[in-house]
Amino acid sequence: MKNKVQAFFLVMGGLVIAAGVVYGQLKKGYYSPAELGSLRQPAPVELLSDSSYQAAAYPVPVVDLTPGDGRQEVQIYCNTCHSPRYITMQPPLPAATWEAEVNKMNKTFGAGIPEDSTRKIILYLEAHYTVENRKQ
Amino acid sequence: MNMTERCLSRRGLLKIVGVTSSGMAIGRWLGPHVTMAQEPAHGKGMESFTGPGANSHWNSVGPYVTEPQKVPLILLTDRPVQLETPRHYFRTAFTPNEAFYVRWHLEAIPNAVDLKTWKLQIEGNVSKALALSLPELMQKFKPVSLAAVNQCSGNSRSRLQPRVPGGQWGNGAMGNAMWTGVRLRELLDMAGVKKGSVLVQFQGLETGPGPEGLGSNLFLKSLDLGNPVLDECVVAYLMNGEPLPMLNGFPVRLVVPGYFATYWTKCLTWIRILDVTDENFWMKTGYRVPDTPRGNTTPEEVKAGKVKTVPIERLPVRSFLISPDGSSKIPAGMNVTLRGIAFSGFGRVNRVEVSDDGGINWMTAKLGEDHGAYSFRTWEASWTAKSPGRYSLAVRATDEKNNTQPDEPVWNPGGYLWNRIARQEIVVGDAS
Ligand code: HEC
Repeated sequence: MKNKVQAFFLVMGGLVIAAGVVYGQLKKGYYSPAELGSLRQPAPVELLSDSSYQAAAYPVPVVDLTPGDGRQEVQIYCNTCHSPRYITMQPPLPAATWEAEVNKMNKTFGAGIPEDSTRKIILYLEAHYTVENRKQ
Repeated sequence: MNMTERCLSRRGLLKIVGVTSSGMAIGRWLGPHVTMAQEPAHGKGMESFTGPGANSHWNSVGPYVTEPQKVPLILLTDRPVQLETPRHYFRTAFTPNEAFYVRWHLEAIPNAVDLKTWKLQIEGNVSKALALSLPELMQKFKPVSLAAVNQCSGNSRSRLQPRVPGGQWGNGAMGNAMWTGVRLRELLDMAGVKKGSVLVQFQGLETGPGPEGLGSNLFLKSLDLGNPVLDECVVAYLMNGEPLPMLNGFPVRLVVPGYFATYWTKCLTWIRILDVTDENFWMKTGYRVPDTPRGNTTPEEVKAGKVKTVPIERLPVRSFLISPDGSSKIPAGMNVTLRGIAFSGFGRVNRVEVSDDGGINWMTAKLGEDHGAYSFRTWEASWTAKSPGRYSLAVRATDEKNNTQPDEPVWNPGGYLWNRIARQEIVVGDAS
């Protein structure tokens, strides 16, 4: 019993010191806090000797679209043929280029987005993804 | 005993506590390292986008992502998948399959193929339509191997000024592999191309949810039957001696040596002989470049509707410094080896030059092994910076047709054909 109590205090003391060391090192700049990637390594698929050759499913991380009017329309209509990452991947583009892109999706690629939603999507992209206003 | 106790035995613990009875002691214990090595600067993550200026990084700025059969690569888009190869994988002439960049156009890309049912079909305006299984391709035809660079038409698109929409690639939408398979010509001859045919069209397994007949539904590419490149094309079932990763086109992919990757159809399943021109989006509208020297034009000319375009074709000559990559300082007086790669779709690279003053004075680099006209060619040069400061290292290649990399930028609305001389800033520090 006495041994157990001693061991407990030793362990606790050790943890405090360890935490202090880590904190001290962080403060000194040897290490800096970081978040681990949100994506886990894919587990390998089970390989069978049949004639089917397959890879694991392709991961689709969540796309951070800037909050604002029209985001919901983008999430619905700009998500059917490809992920909205096609939007966030772009550099800041002039408002006219965004309008042309949305028109291209409708006319050339047949997106068939209703007119009022098309309008809203263009305004949303022009409000958050141009040189003047892009933040993330 | 609880878990902590079991993991950290009392004796082990005493050892730690004994040596380091307080935080101060630990500080002193670390003391000598501190004076010799100094504290590092905090590592920052990459910015999430670049622009409106040119992307100044060698690669694009996306996060790393691990996709099936791949090492972590730089994410451009997830659905469909577009991934860029990080710079350091270009130290060797052959790019590892698991690091090879990925570029799909439409959402529904296969992640399983059943070889019991899969057949390569050669159809259309032919005397005898063929459907060949993978074993037939491997056994009925003499295998041929060739090294060839696969580069995306939009590689380095993020360099353009003004920026253009599309995949914002850095320089890593390229790779070189040893491709092994069947000569396309043998397949065409076996099927018998009928008189009056004009094109051979290629279709793979990718499809999109867009309406039939539009570019959002099928990805189709074609080449003129009179194009001599058809004699060099290979239907490849091996990439660097291994089956192709699914994301690079398992089970077979078309190899069009010297041509941009848009023609290298992945999961190639239909080879179609046509007696009419190809009016589909990916030939008639997409992947076209101005019919001007280097495919160069201006936004004003495009707006004025004056630009005549042609389908993109061969890779202009390019070269890259791969290491050092500018992520660390080099002490003055240290002799370092500059390493990189070069290639051209017009013929063998036979000269690579390096400059350490941004392109005023040039010295010749030593070329690595010659793996054939369409391969990456490695190069290296020895370099010593005598005094501290910032150095702009530049590299330029020349091919056997005497095409040399120019120092002027390129602009066209598709963001294609970038091949300007690349520069890398290197910081040389005081060594004493
Ligand atoms: C009917 C299918 C479809 C829909 C719906 C769609 N797109 Fe696209 N989009 C495409 C295709 C096909 C491409 C070309 C893909 C490629 O080359 O990788 C594309 C490419 C893009 C690009 C890259 C630049 C370019 O022009 O190639 C952007 C930006 C884009 N889409 C934005 C949008 C936005 C915004 C919406 C919602 C308004 C949207 N897309 C909806 C089919 C669609």
